[in-house]
Amino acid sequence: MLLKTKQLSKSFGGLKAMNKVDFELPKNEIRGIIGPNGSGKSTFFNLVSGIYDSDPGSYIEFDGHDITFTPPHEIASYGLSRTFQLLRLYQDMTVINNVMSGYHTRVPYKFFDAVIGRKKIWDQERAIKEEMMELLSFVGLADYAELNASELSGGQRRLLVLARAIAMKPKLLMLDEPAAGLSPVNVDNLMKIIMQLKEKYGLTLIIIEHILKVVMDTCNSVTVFDHGQKIAEGTPAQVKDDNAVIEAYLGKKMDDEEMRKALAV
Amino acid sequence: MEKFKSIIRDYPFIAFIIAFVILAFVPSVVFTDVYQSHLATLIFVNIVVAAGLNIVKGYCGQVTVGHVGLFAVGSYTAGTLFLYLGLGFWVTLPIAIIVTAFFGVAMGIPSFRLEGPYLALATLGGGEAIRLFIENGNFFRSTFGISDIPTPSLMGFNFDSPDRYYFISMTVMIIAVYFSFSILRSGVGRAFMSIREDPICAAAAGINVKKYKILAFILSAMFAGAAGAVYAHMPPGYIHPNNYTVIEMVTFLAMVVLGGLGHIWGGIIGAIVITIVYDLTRPLYKYQLLIFGLTIVLTILFMPKGLGGFIDRYFLEKRFKKKTGTEKT
Repeated sequence: MLLKTKQLSKSFGGLKAMNKVDFELPKNEIRGIIGPNGSGKSTFFNLVSGIYDSDPGSYIEFDGHDITFTPPHEIASYGLSRTFQLLRLYQDMTVINNVMSGYHTRVPYKFFDAVIGRKKIWDQERAIKEEMMELLSFVGLADYAELNASELSGGQRRLLVLARAIAMKPKLLMLDEPAAGLSPVNVDNLMKIIMQLKEKYGLTLIIIEHILKVVMDTCNSVTVFDHGQKIAEGTPAQVKDDNAVIEAYLGKKMDDEEMRKALAV
Repeated sequence: MEKFKSIIRDYPFIAFIIAFVILAFVPSVVFTDVYQSHLATLIFVNIVVAAGLNIVKGYCGQVTVGHVGLFAVGSYTAGTLFLYLGLGFWVTLPIAIIVTAFFGVAMGIPSFRLEGPYLALATLGGGEAIRLFIENGNFFRSTFGISDIPTPSLMGFNFDSPDRYYFISMTVMIIAVYFSFSILRSGVGRAFMSIREDPICAAAAGINVKKYKILAFILSAMFAGAAGAVYAHMPPGYIHPNNYTVIEMVTFLAMVVLGGLGHIWGGIIGAIVITIVYDLTRPLYKYQLLIFGLTIVLTILFMPKGLGGFIDRYFLEKRFKKKTGTEKT
């Protein structure tokens, strides 16, 4: 198991944003997470990546490390990378610097070498830059490398955030609504790039997405959250026919008798 | 030319040696009187402070208004070490740097919890506290200031006049700028910038935010400490608490803002321009604060990336046009 949570809980005051979730994810899987707004999908991401501290009694394990109370930067160094729903782009940095800052956990030299400015450093920096330029041209942003990230269009920003998350060569990549606000053509293009990157880097993926077509087409398995609880899990086909899921998304399925009663009012 | 460029790229310090040689000839070739050497020394001191301030404010994005306090710590460490122990420049400079680094840690700790204007208030308090501590105690000779701090001498040669002290301040400046360049162009500079842009995302990308924040404060404090020591030993070797007030802080800030926050040349360009303007406007001393305050406001309004960013922009647009053949929107 690459990622495992046991009894994962988080409450904000009286609100239980995440309530005793057991979650397991094997390597090389593409897991989709769906659920209505406010069901705890993003909270789950924030708990796993260490941005929020989970409540006592929770347990999170990633790649053999207990990361329940580990600070986020250490979790990242174990090989867990994520994107944010609101992108959190480094607006005032150039595109190439954005991607290179994602490389941070893999930077090979020590701080002191950087202060002295040894030749080794500049060689390594150039190698990093070349590698990152390759990544940028893979996602199709190589021409914009020197521009500020704030000057990119919405679709390009999504690609840049993706490239930045991949730069650290993660074992697990968690994408929080990667396709939000994209046109259908762009969504297809983005998913194609994500799949190519998965093959190239051997990633395991967790994708939160509201576009059900994307989830049903690309994911091996789907987990459904509602009110901070896991209400269903399985292959896309299984989840689609699950009554609890349909209830959470569309409301209760009624038989004829109930329907007549409801309409008679 | 290409070969020369690649040598500089591999061994950047060669460029600094060249700069050193060129600057070494400036006094004898360009300067016409001693006052200009004195002014040049002031410019170099300000460059060191501004380069340090650019690390913490421009790159790491931590708004600090207490930097002049760290500058004062550097000066007064050198001053008191001379006053009570009779130590010379070569000993007081490294000690001043180390002592100021510790004060930098103290100044940086509030940044774990505060940001933006609140951090500015906290550091303003810190800087003022340092100045008041120096001012209200006979230990630091507050009333009269510490005078006759000796100039350094090396192998029998005494750097006792402004045109000789020029070489000391220039050397310190070049070394400081070299360090700031290598720090900011490496992964460390990138980590600072990510923290400025978005600390949460930086943490998720594997950057230890607290460590790098405090590192930025320590580094910039060391720059301020070095500048302070150089300033204290500058002939005629006189320091007084009145030289470390908020007014000086505004000047330092104006330097960094005008030069370009987060631009690698930012502090340097700003320090040169502002120091010269400051000197030229001495007769209008009543309005100096107004001038620098206006400079900050107008720069932020109309040239948010400062002079450095303005120049960069010009070349970037040219290159982008050449590459893609289109006008950037």
